[in-house]
Amino acid sequence: MDSALVLRDVRKSFGSTTAVDGMTLTVPRGKLYGVIGPNGAGKTTCLRMIMSILFPDSGELSVLGKRSALEAKDRIGYLPEERGVYRKMKVGLFLTYMAQLKGVSRDQAAASVPRWLESMNLPGTEGKPCEDLSKGMLQRVQFIAAVLHQPDLLILDEPFSGQDPVSVRLLREHIVGEHRRGATVLLSTHVMANAEEMCQHVVMIHQGRKVLDEPVVGLRRQFDRRTIHFEPIDSDADPSRLRSLPGVERVEATGEGYTVTLVEGTDPAGAIARLAAAVPPARVELARLRLEDVFISIVSEGAPGSEAARTLRAGLRAPGAEGAVA
Amino acid sequence: MRRVWLVAQREFLAAVMNKGFVIGLLLMPAMVAVFAMVMPRLVNAPGGSQIRGEVAVIDRTGQVFDGLRTGLTPEAITRRRTEGARRALENAPAPVRTVAGESSDATIERAIGAPPAFTVVQRTATADVQNEKRWLTDTTPENGPRHLALVVIHPNAIAQDATKTEYGGYDIYIPENTDERVETNVYDAMREALVAARVRAHNMDRAQVEAIMRVRRASSVTVTAGTERRTNVGFNRFLPFIFGGLLVFGIMIGGQTLLTQVVEEKSSRVVEVLLSAVSPLELMAGKILGQMIVSMLVLAFYVVMGVFLLMSFAMLGLIEPVLIVYLIVFFLVGYLVFASVFAAVGASVNEMREAQSLITPVMLALMVPWFFAMPIGRDPDSAFSVAMSLIPPVNTMAMMIRISSTTPPPFWQIALSVVIGVGSAFAAMWFAAKIFKVGLLMHGKPPSLGTLIRWARQA
Repeated sequence: MDSALVLRDVRKSFGSTTAVDGMTLTVPRGKLYGVIGPNGAGKTTCLRMIMSILFPDSGELSVLGKRSALEAKDRIGYLPEERGVYRKMKVGLFLTYMAQLKGVSRDQAAASVPRWLESMNLPGTEGKPCEDLSKGMLQRVQFIAAVLHQPDLLILDEPFSGQDPVSVRLLREHIVGEHRRGATVLLSTHVMANAEEMCQHVVMIHQGRKVLDEPVVGLRRQFDRRTIHFEPIDSDADPSRLRSLPGVERVEATGEGYTVTLVEGTDPAGAIARLAAAVPPARVELARLRLEDVFISIVSEGAPGSEAARTLRAGLRAPGAEGAVA
Repeated sequence: MRRVWLVAQREFLAAVMNKGFVIGLLLMPAMVAVFAMVMPRLVNAPGGSQIRGEVAVIDRTGQVFDGLRTGLTPEAITRRRTEGARRALENAPAPVRTVAGESSDATIERAIGAPPAFTVVQRTATADVQNEKRWLTDTTPENGPRHLALVVIHPNAIAQDATKTEYGGYDIYIPENTDERVETNVYDAMREALVAARVRAHNMDRAQVEAIMRVRRASSVTVTAGTERRTNVGFNRFLPFIFGGLLVFGIMIGGQTLLTQVVEEKSSRVVEVLLSAVSPLELMAGKILGQMIVSMLVLAFYVVMGVFLLMSFAMLGLIEPVLIVYLIVFFLVGYLVFASVFAAVGASVNEMREAQSLITPVMLALMVPWFFAMPIGRDPDSAFSVAMSLIPPVNTMAMMIRISSTTPPPFWQIALSVVIGVGSAFAAMWFAAKIFKVGLLMHGKPPSLGTLIRWARQA
């Protein structure tokens, strides 16, 4: 399959700071890729280089088969992380203008703008100046500006930042919709859960380097071999019987049952059998790996309990901590 | 090119389609009109403040007082005013003369107000000046006539001293806050009275002396290859100012708006959204083009208004049509040079406040030739003028001033100035494009000139 996007050993530094350090990446056409990593990892710099807004110090790029995004701008939709509007311009005019810049005829743009505004839950805003809209509403306007010309490649930098849960769901639906239409989608986020639920493939970036490049399906098949979710039939069962079993390091109560952590090196199959024999289970299963855990185990190099790992984990969950330039 | 045009179109509409633009466009002519209508009325508020009061005279010669009293009567004052107005009109252009000629003396009087009512009081020829000065500040009785002035006529005002060729004159003392028209009127009347008395003393005929003294100043006739027309000194002197000003003004409008727009796009972060659709170069070119059309619209508006004004005074012939062509050419060249710099400055700062320090030298460069419009216009072929009109970035304005002067430069110099201008426009755009590309996404500390040069090198 030919690729929508190819990066080969791309590097970029600003002064003494290396923002992207030898990035190699191939995104096949029609895929939904997630670029994940904490704030400051180099995601935005990567996307800007793909868009030819910044230029790499070294390395090669190919976008939709062209040597630079400049040659394919009309076929790319881009939602930058730092997005603004003309405050005095009317929403409808702004969208029409952006679409025209992307090669859509004025009539065609004017016809599809109201439809899009309707579908993004922004009815009646067409004639309003942009400054009258809330920040969340403007972000949805900007999303429309990125997709109005039906791009072949859609690049979204932190599309969910600053959105309430309802808008996040709406945006997800539309992103998936664009993907279904046939567009290749590359979105960056520092909230791993979003990537985990939507993307087919994730690329993790940490300190300017790619640390993971795998399909989400494969990741989902990976289990945490030291963690078992255990739910007894009898909710009043005594957890101390679990704790005393050989190979069990720790038992923590969760809402529905217990999370059992095994001693390093314990065979999970044997442990599950022993647990089930001790307390009759309604459900017992090996925990699936979450992206967050994968990421943290990679970057903290096997010290998941460390302070640094906890800080990282906090950064990967908090949807509020936006805005730093990656 | 399609994108450049779209950007330009948006720039143009954003600049033109708002109330501020229309108000700004009409404000200047409106202010000039209001000024022209209100000022004369304010200066000579009709009837409002007629001067009334006493003028005391110590006439040491004993021969001038009667003449002075006659000269300060309202009839004499009115006569002198009318004569003054006539003389002023003689130098005015024909249409003004025609209009003014229709107005009667009564109209003039109404326009400049009623003449002062002086009561002239004679003191004895030997009166003590110190004593009389006290009279000036003495305000009793409360509602009595105001004491306006004390005039002391020197004893040798009529007959010279044996050793000197000069005649004596007079001294005038006035209290605080006296209207300056009192002094003017006393001088005018005193002059007439003294001259009359001196002429009498020599047994000469005053009318003849005046006739001997009078030489009419000729107004020149400008001779060109086929035609002759009366030279309009005042107008010609102003032409370089007007054309230089139009050029500076037009460039400034476009440049300033461009600067604000770029800074706004950068600070509102709309620029990265735009850069996903257009290249920095296309964006810059579009913006410069859009503002150029705005500036040209404004310039055209003022030029057309000016032409109408001249036509209504039948003075259109005073402007060579080729001046307008040069105005357009030099506007385009000068605008491109300065607009590029304005765009680069806009792209390199985060907010308008930071732009000030970078834009001040640019503004100065833009204004300097206009400050020198007088020397350049008066002596357009001096080494200074020629140098100014060939050195970028001031060459366009300076050359425009030279062209509109009474002695236009040789064509080869004009052409050279255009070539230099086009060259510097290309250089400015090249430099600006580099700064623009790097600066647009830079936020943080505003750059120094050194940083800008480094950006230009790395881009």
